[in-house]
Amino acid sequence: MELDDLKRRWEEQDRKLDRSLRLNARAVEEAVRGRSRAEARRAGLGLFLELVLGFLPVLWLGSFIADHIREPRFWIPAMALDIFAIATFGGLVRRQVVLRAIDWSAPVLEIQKRLAAVRMGGARATKWTLLLAPLLWTPLSIVAFRGLFGVDSYAAFGAAYVAANAAFGLLFLAVAVRVSRRYADRAERSPALQRFMRDLGGRNLARAEDSLASLDRFELEPAAPGSEKAL
Amino acid sequence: MPAGGSQERFVALLEEHRKILFKVAGAYCPNPEDRRDLVQEMTAQLWRAFPRYDERFRFSTWMYRIALNVAISFSRRQSVRARHAAPAGVELLEASADVSAAAPGDEDLRLLDRFLGGLEALDRALLLLYLDGNRYDAIAGVLGISETNVGTKLNRIKERLRRELAGNA
Repeated sequence: MELDDLKRRWEEQDRKLDRSLRLNARAVEEAVRGRSRAEARRAGLGLFLELVLGFLPVLWLGSFIADHIREPRFWIPAMALDIFAIATFGGLVRRQVVLRAIDWSAPVLEIQKRLAAVRMGGARATKWTLLLAPLLWTPLSIVAFRGLFGVDSYAAFGAAYVAANAAFGLLFLAVAVRVSRRYADRAERSPALQRFMRDLGGRNLARAEDSLASLDRFELEPAAPGSEKAL
Repeated sequence: MPAGGSQERFVALLEEHRKILFKVAGAYCPNPEDRRDLVQEMTAQLWRAFPRYDERFRFSTWMYRIALNVAISFSRRQSVRARHAAPAGVELLEASADVSAAAPGDEDLRLLDRFLGGLEALDRALLLLYLDGNRYDAIAGVLGISETNVGTKLNRIKERLRRELAGNA
């Protein structure tokens, strides 16, 4: 059997569909209108919250840096956190701009490549956020104690405590990455944990890269001799 | 959001091309409940995009692009997404039993379903467009690749089908 035989069978089925398939016009109207409104509300609220939660740390850290500009032991860790917060917020805004500009009626390959690039950007941002989190714990604790409670961590806990915190962060990071790479596939019972481990171990990023590469191959595949030109 | 006046036109065009929704959803969603969600999602996206539809171009091409883009994205996130609440009982497409599943003994269609399901998302789109009788230039326009590339890929798909049939024999 050849594909053209199956195509003829498909066409017969298509004729049956003409007779048997009905569109429920009332359901279309209700579903489309209700769903569009509900989705727009949900998406708008979600985006607003994300933007607020992303921008608040930038604002707060900027204010903290201004207040402690003559104290490098405070403004330097705050600056490290602020750079991270600005990069995260920038990435979020950029992804939202790209997603909102998508015209779904554009050619399939173009849209899928754009979506794959957004997924890759998201996976990369998540991976770096998770990788940097243990390292940022030390500056975060210094800044948070100072900014929220007025406590000087260097004086209260001593420089050795701060250094030990940083060392623990590095050790934790190394172990977490190793465990994630090794055991992500076994964490099937908890999808959230599995996603976290795949993000941390770089698996989700690799998958997004593979997806983009596969779309590139689909586009660039060279023509083989003897391909038909018309139906 | 389209104005109220264009809604009748939209529903009429959707009615005329309802088979596209049915076939695209069938190709990307084996599960009937997911399929219903996908049909709704495709319809909602078509409605949102309708104000930008240029009537100088074929509606079917425009509809295929949106339906396929939505279906491919939907099937990609299907395994991880939380199921959203679709209005209970709303069926946009109502099909009688003889087309909603291959009839008993209809081995050819089942074979085709299995073969389609085993293809990568874009190859599946290409084969679906071919089976629906679209010309190479139309397929190329929907997918965004050259006509020559369409021909090459179809030849490879045919070759793969031959191999799989020979393997099953």
